Amino acid sequence: MNSTSRIWTTTGLISGVSTVLLLCGFLYAVKDIMNPLGAPIFDEQTRQESVLPTPEIESVLDVTAIGDSLAKGTGDDTGNGYARRTVQILKERGDQSKLVNNLGINGLTTAKLIPLLDEKGVQYVLKQSGVILLSIGGNDLFQETEKFQSGGELPTEMELEKSVTEASENFKQIVKKLVDINPDAQLVYVSLYNPFADLEGIKEIGNKAVTHWNSLAMQTMSEYKRTLVVPTYDLFSNNGPLYLSGDHFHPNGEGYQSIAERIVQGLGKSVVE
Amino acid sequence: MIPLVKNEMIKMIKKKRFYVILLVLVVLVPMFAYAQLKVSMNSQEKYGDDWRRQVQQGITDNQNSLGSDRVPEEWKKYRKIYIQQMKYYLEHDINPQQTGGVSFTREFLNNAATLFIPLLIMGVGSDIVSSERTTGTVKMLLTRPIRRWKILLSKLITLLMFVSLIVVSAYVICYLISGLFFGYGGFNMPVLTGFVLNGAEVDISGVHAVPQWEYLLMQAGLIWFVSITVAMLAFMVSVLVRSTAASIVIMMAALIAGNILTNMASAWTSAKYLFMVNLGLTNYLAGSPAPIEGMTLGFSLMILAIWAVCSLFVSFLVFTKQDILN
Repeated sequence: MNSTSRIWTTTGLISGVSTVLLLCGFLYAVKDIMNPLGAPIFDEQTRQESVLPTPEIESVLDVTAIGDSLAKGTGDDTGNGYARRTVQILKERGDQSKLVNNLGINGLTTAKLIPLLDEKGVQYVLKQSGVILLSIGGNDLFQETEKFQSGGELPTEMELEKSVTEASENFKQIVKKLVDINPDAQLVYVSLYNPFADLEGIKEIGNKAVTHWNSLAMQTMSEYKRTLVVPTYDLFSNNGPLYLSGDHFHPNGEGYQSIAERIVQGLGKSVVE
Repeated sequence: MIPLVKNEMIKMIKKKRFYVILLVLVVLVPMFAYAQLKVSMNSQEKYGDDWRRQVQQGITDNQNSLGSDRVPEEWKKYRKIYIQQMKYYLEHDINPQQTGGVSFTREFLNNAATLFIPLLIMGVGSDIVSSERTTGTVKMLLTRPIRRWKILLSKLITLLMFVSLIVVSAYVICYLISGLFFGYGGFNMPVLTGFVLNGAEVDISGVHAVPQWEYLLMQAGLIWFVSITVAMLAFMVSVLVRSTAASIVIMMAALIAGNILTNMASAWTSAKYLFMVNLGLTNYLAGSPAPIEGMTLGFSLMILAIWAVCSLFVSFLVFTKQDILN
C-alpha cells in the first residue's frame, strides 16, 4: 500500500466514523430539545430527598450579612460594607473569622425577605454562620421618602405609622425563621437610623417612626436567646454629613466603619475563650 | 466518483491546511485552559471547596443588579434566567461549575460554537475552489472527461468530511490539553438541560439531568450542523469569488457581523432570518436566551438549512455554467 492510499483509507475512515457519531449527536440533541419531557430524572420524591448537606461551622465568628442595601454595603466606596469591616476588625484583634456570604440585596423590604429565607441556598449559608448580621426595615419605612427627595409628596405621620406596624409583623416572622434555621448563631439586628435627621419637615416624623420601629424590633428580638440589637440611631443624629454617602440615605465608608465597630463591641470580647 | 473524492482528499492533506487548523487548536486551547485555571484558583481562594456558597453569592449578586435602573432590561432578562437556573442547581445539589477536563471542553466549545469553529471551517472551505483558480489548476481539472458537477460534488464531499474531522478533533484536542490542567474526569457528572424560555420566564417543567458525555455528544451534533452550514456558504463564496483572500474576507466579515448582531440586534427582529444570527444552536441546549425573541431550535435549524441549500444550488448552477477564462 503506498502513502496516498494510506492517507485516503485512514482519513476516510476516521471522518466517516466522526460523521456518523456527530449525526447521532445531532439527532439526539434535536429530539431532546424539542421534546424535553422525555426523561425527567427528578420526580417529586427525589426532589424531596435532595436536601443540601448541613455544613460545618468553622468559627463561631464567621459572619453572614443578610437584608437590604445596608447589609450589602451600598454607599461604601470600598465596597466592604459593615459585613466585611466587621470581619476585618475581628481579624485585627486576633480572632478567627471570615465572611461566609453577603446576601444583602438593594431595596429589599421585610415582605420580600421572608420568601428568601425559604431558599435552600440561603439556608445553607446561614447554617454555617456563627454570626448573622440582619438589616431590614429601612425600605419599608423610607421607600416613600425617596419620592419625597425627588420632589414628591411627603409621607404623613399616619402613613409612616402604618408602614411601621405592617413591617414589624413581618419582622417577627423573619426573626423566627432565622432562629429556626440556625438557633446557635448570634443574631445581630442593625437597627435603623433616621437619614433625614438634618432635613427640616421630615426630621420629626422620621425620628418618631424610627424610634417606634426600633423599640418594636428590640421587643421582638428580646424574645429569643442569642440575639443582639445594635443601635445606630445616635451615630447618625448629629453626624449626617460625616457618615452619610452622596445619596443622603446610605452610610459612607466611615459610617459603615462605625457601625462595624458597634457590632464588634456588641459581640463582646473573644467568644472563643 | 470515489477516485475524485480520494483525489481531493489527498490534495487537502498535502496542502497542510488541516494541520494548520490542528496547530491553531493546540496553541490556543492551553491559553484558555490556563486562564480558566487562574479563575478557578481565584474562587478557590475565596470560597474554599464550598461551591454552594459561591453559587449562592452569584445568585445574590445578580438579584442586586436586577434592582438597578442602570442595567438595561435586556441584560436583566439574562440575569433572571441565570438566577433561576442557579437556584435549580442549588436545590438539587448539583455543582454547575465543577472543574474538570470534560467540563472545560463543554464550556469552551459552547463559546467556540458561533465564531471560533466556523473560522476553522472557513480555513478549509473558503479556498477549496478558488485556490484552483488562483493557481490555474482548475483548467487541468476541467479538461478531464468528467462532468463538471461531479468535480464540484467531489469537492463538496471532501469538505464535509473535513468538517466532521475538524469538529471531532476540536473536542479531542480540547479534552486532551485541558485534562493536563484539570484532570480527565467528569464524564458522568450530571448536567441540567431542558430549560425552556418563555420571554423572561424559565419553564423548568422539562428540565432533566443528562450525564456530561451525553451532553457533549448533543453539543457536538449541533456544532456539526452549524459547521456544515458555514462550510456550504464558504463553498459558495469560493465558487463565486476568484481570489482566495477575497473569499476568506467575505466569510469572515459575515461571521463577525453575525457576532456583533447577536449582541445588539434584539430590536431589529427581522435579523433573525440571517444565518449568522442563528449559529448559536448550543444556546438552546444550555438554556441561554436566544438573541432575538421568538427564535427556537426548529426555527434556527430551518433558517440554517435554507441558507445551506440555497448556497449549494447557487454553487452548482454557477460552476456548471460559468466560463473559465483565466
